[in-house]
Amino acid sequence: VTAYARPSSLDEALALLGDGAAPMGGGTDLAGQIDRGLASPATIVDLQDAGIGAIERDGDGIVVGATATLAEIAEATELVSYMVFRQAALAAASALLRNTGTLGGNLCQHTRCWYYRGVEWNCWLGGGETCYAQIGEHWKHGLQTGDCISAHPSDLAPALHVLGGTVLVRSLGGERELALLDLYRRPTSDNRSLVTLAPGELVVGVRLPVPPDASAYERAGERQAFSFPLVSVAAAKRGGEVTLAAAGVANIPVGLDPADPLRDLPGNPQSEWKRKVLTALAERAVAHLG
Amino acid sequence: MARLVKSVVEMEGRISERWALVEDDEAAEPWPDPLDGDFAAVGRPAPRLDGAKRVTGQARYTVDIQLPGMLHVEVLRSPFAHARVKSLDVEQAKTVPGVRAVLTPDSPAGAEGGSCAGLLFAEPDYAGCPIAAVAADTPEAARAGVIALSADIEQLPHILDYEEALSRELFEMDPRETLRGDFESAYAAADARVELTFETPTEIHSALEPHSCVARWDGDELTVWASTKAMFGTRAGLARAFGMPQDQVRVLVEFVGGSFGAKAAAGKEALFAAELARQTGRPVRVANDRHAELNDTGNRPPTRQTMRLAGNKDGKLVAVEAESLIGRGSPGFGASPAFVLYRVENVYGLDASLKLNVRPANAFRAPGTMERITVLEQAIDDLALELGFDPLEFRRRNHVDFDQASGEPYSSKALLDCYERVAELAGWAERDRLLRPHPDGLLRGMGCATQIWGGGGGPPSHATIRLGGDGIATVVTGIQDVGTGTLTAAQVVAAEELGLPVAQVRVTGGDTQPNIYAPLAAGSMTVPSVMPAVRSAAAVVRRKLLQLAGDVFEVSPDDLSIREGQIRSKDRSLDRPYSEVTEKLGNATIDGSGSRGPNPTGKRVNTFGCQIAQVAIDTAVGEVRVEHVWAVHDVGRVVNPLGASSQVEGGIIQAIGFALSEDRVFDPTTGAPTNAWLDDYKVPTIADTPEITVDFAHKPDYELSNVGSKGLGEPPIIPTAAAIVNAFRHATGRRVTGMPMTRKRVLEALA
Repeated sequence: VTAYARPSSLDEALALLGDGAAPMGGGTDLAGQIDRGLASPATIVDLQDAGIGAIERDGDGIVVGATATLAEIAEATELVSYMVFRQAALAAASALLRNTGTLGGNLCQHTRCWYYRGVEWNCWLGGGETCYAQIGEHWKHGLQTGDCISAHPSDLAPALHVLGGTVLVRSLGGERELALLDLYRRPTSDNRSLVTLAPGELVVGVRLPVPPDASAYERAGERQAFSFPLVSVAAAKRGGEVTLAAAGVANIPVGLDPADPLRDLPGNPQSEWKRKVLTALAERAVAHLG
Repeated sequence: MARLVKSVVEMEGRISERWALVEDDEAAEPWPDPLDGDFAAVGRPAPRLDGAKRVTGQARYTVDIQLPGMLHVEVLRSPFAHARVKSLDVEQAKTVPGVRAVLTPDSPAGAEGGSCAGLLFAEPDYAGCPIAAVAADTPEAARAGVIALSADIEQLPHILDYEEALSRELFEMDPRETLRGDFESAYAAADARVELTFETPTEIHSALEPHSCVARWDGDELTVWASTKAMFGTRAGLARAFGMPQDQVRVLVEFVGGSFGAKAAAGKEALFAAELARQTGRPVRVANDRHAELNDTGNRPPTRQTMRLAGNKDGKLVAVEAESLIGRGSPGFGASPAFVLYRVENVYGLDASLKLNVRPANAFRAPGTMERITVLEQAIDDLALELGFDPLEFRRRNHVDFDQASGEPYSSKALLDCYERVAELAGWAERDRLLRPHPDGLLRGMGCATQIWGGGGGPPSHATIRLGGDGIATVVTGIQDVGTGTLTAAQVVAAEELGLPVAQVRVTGGDTQPNIYAPLAAGSMTVPSVMPAVRSAAAVVRRKLLQLAGDVFEVSPDDLSIREGQIRSKDRSLDRPYSEVTEKLGNATIDGSGSRGPNPTGKRVNTFGCQIAQVAIDTAVGEVRVEHVWAVHDVGRVVNPLGASSQVEGGIIQAIGFALSEDRVFDPTTGAPTNAWLDDYKVPTIADTPEITVDFAHKPDYELSNVGSKGLGEPPIIPTAAAIVNAFRHATGRRVTGMPMTRKRVLEALA
């Protein structure tokens, strides 16, 4: 890192997001990526003054800016009708990290797979040849099969999906709005990215429609606090219809079929135990919907 | 009069006989029982001397030391569990701007003829093993220097599996066999038998402050700031390495951010820092990052243990067999607790430490004993249930009042009191009520486990006290307070014996310069070793103070006493503040020195205790929560109940990590740990911490010393994990196959 910029407007920020620049919300993930050589940006573009952190009414819905912190989301009275969002924000990380970490950063954070993060390996997702998890230790990994079996770490992503949230993306060239799950993609051999953002594009916020009738979040961590979800399930109900989504079971957040939450999630030899947990958490989340 | 006598000293089970300097003890008379005595300071809660500094960020730890011109060091480590370093481009590394020196395995180091062999390795045999060290103006330049070494490292085959190492007879040390009586016959003839195989995890100390050292040479004098529990050992190690007298080495350890058994000598960081400082003529700082801390600072070794126990219908244990495979660590020193904790005549033990390609273990809070008690106490529970006894009652029935390994009696043992008290506190008699359905749908259960450990300390240990004209008494000790509160304990003991308010007593430690010796902070030795010396020194100063008071108040000193700073005559006609004496001292001081007397002969000094844990289990998602732990330990006299409770709480929390979440996970391809960062190596948080209720037997060990305190650093971590897993069995009727009790393991046990 040779330069640090703290633009005071979004346009200024977008102009800086060229080659070799990394946007930074709270920096809680970026710092770790740099530390372990996963990212080596020449310029860090700190977004905290870019004016994209507000939580504002938007017709019958609400727009949450990308640099709103997890602590702000967890405490926002504007979000009381979106309970699953607040619960998910409060479940993530530790109090110190929630005070710093942001919505945009949480959605775009890299996987916690220890082979991807570890300095001793160059794994398939990181551009290498081998998914070491599949031939090694993967009891915390996903239930899907494929080239990369890592587990998606964001608590917020499944919560925002069941709320019908859309992701607001801006670049110098314009703006687009994506369904939450369309922010993510399964990596392919010619493109190992887990998100669909093009170079120069930035997540600037999430738009939530009318609140659901009820919503809930259930998660299983490695300890009682300060743990990424091993498995988490978000649920929401509108009219009679239940929507479910999960983190921790595939390398991207996935929507679940309420009639068969385990569909397309066969499990890997050491991670199969997560199927039982996913089933139980889905039942509990749905039960909370009343 | 001074004499040298032979005294037996125990440290972590190692028994040694050493010469002890014995002087007349002015405090030879033991203090009375806690309940009978009228104590002003001892036994009353005293806030930690350095507590405010530690929690407000004012404490300056070794990692905080910044010296002008100081260099930083980055260490190249092996990414493979077994490898050969084919080449290192030292010349290229030296061309990196800011790089000042490079050490490789064959670099000369230390005294004439010395080298870095033994510190840096060309054929590393565990992942994280250091290969080279680079000192540079900044940490970034040091890192760039390591990259510029362009290390060519060839991976070699590694062994991580117990069975494979066993079949190839790759032993780290000779297997240890223990025999007493006739195990096989007794086992076959008994009314009931149980067998249990259990795996315990690699537990890493994970102190908040990493291993670190800053070294500076001034001519031929070396000063080091070190994060260590052994400043005198560090001094000796550096003096030996550089071939210089000890008085040319000064070790400073004002604050240490935790040790838990590690940081026990002049480690790699101290030797690297001193050598690189010598080569460059600049101060040098070496501090581990968290990855190095988790990979290369030692650990509690992993074990796979099999125990077979047999007992009879009368509730008597008749045979114990304990076999353990250990991942490159010591089985512990002295007799296994499996063979001495309960009365048993027939035992067989076999401990095999296997040379796996893993980081060699080092001492970790009750080394050898904690992991064995974790398995033994499950088997004891199983046998009790098999024979139809309440587990706690079964333990009482097998109580033993002498050390079965040596045949010697204990100097004191109040374990039966501990059982009674902890059962009362926890409501043990009603524990089956927990088995009823709960509204939250969780299963609950309660389990217990017993603890035995050393903790007698011993000589040599010294203290000097100096009372000045300002009325402040300064206690000079060789204590390195690694966070345990031992300096505060010394303050309490000195205040009591001096008869001064606690606030008027200062305590220093953490500096080898005064050359007032105390043992390293290990083996639960500091309080039992140092406090008697402090008391003796204080007795000398008090006698002199009262003599001077006799002069000032024109009475006989024999008629005077002092308590909390008030000097009084027997008939209370005189009642004056001690400042009326000390203010007349001007710049003179009243000095006194004391030393620890020898240990009792023909007696074994041990600590004991019992803990009960209550757990809740969410069976659908495989979650175990520890809800409450009750702990009652026999550690002799409790000097500072506040500090003592804190020690017990810390031990319990650390054991919860061992039981539920901590382990080193190895990648089979490289043999490197996958989780050598704190995001994946999960130590407990405050949210994982249960309610903890602490009490003590409060029985001073009058045979041991003039204070009667045994050590407390290690005892509390010993029984917690076993109590937790026994509570799990009470709740579910199931046993897990090992620890940590991850969701995966718990779901497998419940399947």
